[in-house]
Amino acid sequence: MSKAFAVFRREYLEVVRKKSFIIMTLLFPFLMGGVMVIPAMLAMRGIESKRVVIVDGTGRLRQAFAEKQGGQPTDESPIADLGQNKAKKQPTSQVASALEIKTEYVAASGDPKAAAQPYLDRLKGNGTKGAQRVDGVLVIPSDAFDNSDAKLGYYSRAATDFITQERLGGMVNHAVSRGRLASRGIEPAEADRLLKRLRVEVVKVSKTGEEKKGGELSFLVGFVFAALLLVPNLIYGQEVMRGIVQEKTERVVEILISSMSSLQLLSGKVLGLAAVGLTQVAVWMTMGGLMAVYTGGAALMGGINLFQYFEVRVIPWFFVFYLLGYLIYVCIYAIGGAISNSEKEAQQFLGPLMMVAMIPWFLAMPIIQNPDSTLAVVLSLIPVFTPITMFMRVIVSEPPLWQLGLSIALAVGTIYVFFWMTAKIFRVGILSYGKRPSPVELWRWLKVA
Amino acid sequence: MEGDVVLSVRDVTKRFGPVRAVDELSFTVRRGTITGLLGRNGAGKTTTLRMINGIFLPDSGVIELFGTTDAAAARDRIGYLPEERGLYRKMRVLEQLLFLAAIKGRRPADARPSAERWLQRFDLWDKRAGKLEELSKGNQQKVQLIGALLHDPEVVTLDEPTSGLDPVNVVLVRNILKELKAEGRTILLSTHMMAEAEKLVDEIVLIHQGRAVLTGELDDVRASFGKNSVHLTFEGDGAFLTGLPGVAQGRVETNVAELRLEAGADPQGVLAAAVARLRVSRFEVASPSLEEVFIDRVGAGAESGGLASAGEAAS
Repeated sequence: MSKAFAVFRREYLEVVRKKSFIIMTLLFPFLMGGVMVIPAMLAMRGIESKRVVIVDGTGRLRQAFAEKQGGQPTDESPIADLGQNKAKKQPTSQVASALEIKTEYVAASGDPKAAAQPYLDRLKGNGTKGAQRVDGVLVIPSDAFDNSDAKLGYYSRAATDFITQERLGGMVNHAVSRGRLASRGIEPAEADRLLKRLRVEVVKVSKTGEEKKGGELSFLVGFVFAALLLVPNLIYGQEVMRGIVQEKTERVVEILISSMSSLQLLSGKVLGLAAVGLTQVAVWMTMGGLMAVYTGGAALMGGINLFQYFEVRVIPWFFVFYLLGYLIYVCIYAIGGAISNSEKEAQQFLGPLMMVAMIPWFLAMPIIQNPDSTLAVVLSLIPVFTPITMFMRVIVSEPPLWQLGLSIALAVGTIYVFFWMTAKIFRVGILSYGKRPSPVELWRWLKVA
Repeated sequence: MEGDVVLSVRDVTKRFGPVRAVDELSFTVRRGTITGLLGRNGAGKTTTLRMINGIFLPDSGVIELFGTTDAAAARDRIGYLPEERGLYRKMRVLEQLLFLAAIKGRRPADARPSAERWLQRFDLWDKRAGKLEELSKGNQQKVQLIGALLHDPEVVTLDEPTSGLDPVNVVLVRNILKELKAEGRTILLSTHMMAEAEKLVDEIVLIHQGRAVLTGELDDVRASFGKNSVHLTFEGDGAFLTGLPGVAQGRVETNVAELRLEAGADPQGVLAAAVARLRVSRFEVASPSLEEVFIDRVGAGAESGGLASAGEAAS
């Protein structure tokens, strides 16, 4: 086995010493962190806050936009700081509450559309000197209390700004409903109680009886971790393939094959690059952990507990499924490299196969939303899909032990067969220069070698 | 022990598609000798060396090395210099050598002193920390040769060892091969350069179209062709020499000629005719050169005469 170790050592050192590897390893967490953390921080600081002008045709809704602030509205510009107040009251809807909406209330009895015109002009020509920036104009028609078909008009440059839209609509509706009830003699306090909506709290139940709040972030965590599993798998599978093609073109392979068995060569190579991938992921996790402690701490001060979405029990599973995934895919890459004469040729051969392997990734949404569905269970028991599917299931729920055991056993068995086949095809293919073999020839190699 | 058969190739055939690269080839190599595997381009020399090194498996026939047919068991006791360079271009020279030793079962720490000694001997010491791709072709060839020797192999197989080397390095390699032989190692080298082989080898295996057409000790082989070759060095136009009476065939080049005489022909008659028309500065009656033997047996138009030992060729 010292020969396989020599290959292992060579492969590992060759990649780890590359400048590109070091840069990628150290920079990637910052890039990812940048992509995810910076917008969140910007949102928290309110830089992204929206200024919406409310033009009230009824002239009776000032209270609705002022009272939330908890203080007295000023006549000049009654800015209600809705976002931050809400965030403290409802810490579970982080995404929405991170957005701040500042409202400016304008009472316009008569024609609200005409009263809104200067604001609409400001909306169009944003950036006019002296005038304040406006991101949206909400027009409440004067017959809002009487006409049940009345429509609220929301004018914005971004029609997709549905969170703001939804929130303002909710507030106006609440106020209008109160007004309608009041006109039928119901006290405002009574009306508030009647109109109170019941909130849904998502609770994840585990076997230990522990209860945890979940939510949209659970989905995000599942996605990020599945990517952390898949991406290095593909990168280093490809690296194995590239190495094999290179050894063929540089004719080193003759020397290697005359010195050791193809199984020794293959295992040294495959494990060497597995170690490279693990090194990289370990660095990423450490850096990510430090970052999470920092940003998580910051979020905690803002009333959001990020840690409730991440469980330490996931980490050992990560390494289990990482290795299973790598060992399954790498065989396909190794065969691709062994039977091709150039990287390009190998890519063409592998493209369709890799698309198949990616299927669970494309089905991530249904799997994560419904981790115990037939689809998820079946996919997780098919060895080439096991690593990603089972890992996503492990993150968001707790699959039955027999399913975990069976899927891992099937995957290990498949790896064993794949390795045996790969070593044989590798032995013949790696020495064949020239035409790529047909499937029939591949089958013959399997029997002959 | 010197003289034992250390490598034996028996009835080995290797096909590539419809082509028989090696066709029922048989020969043996004795311990402590230098054996030349000779033949034209495409004769099957490289395929034979690859099979001996376990890179290809023969389709039929047996290769026995150190008394076993298990290629895996013999791996660490044989060294191989492939015809084309087979090294990692991006790897540093010394590191690469230690890797080559490691995959032949030597611990890097044990191989290091020996690697350093070889690098100095081959004048590569200053380049040990450089990447392979920074070296010239000749220097890469030298690195490859060190790689074939570093693990102290008992049998060394070399495919065109002097290709790409300048004359100074050719002499260096020749001397090293003689030293290896003096240490009791066995060397099998393939080449198509007969002049080179003649200076080095004890035995020859001449192969043609995948078959051995002539095997035996170099001196015996040459003697078997009889002492009936005339070697001439002269000034003038020697084209007429091949047409002289008693000359069976011959090769005339600028100022040199090698003529094969018919049985019973008198060399003196040839000399007299030559002196009459040319200024002769050297005249020798001797066995044919290896080159002459080579061309005679496998040159253009020569049909493979099947396996012929030195004894058969004499009759």
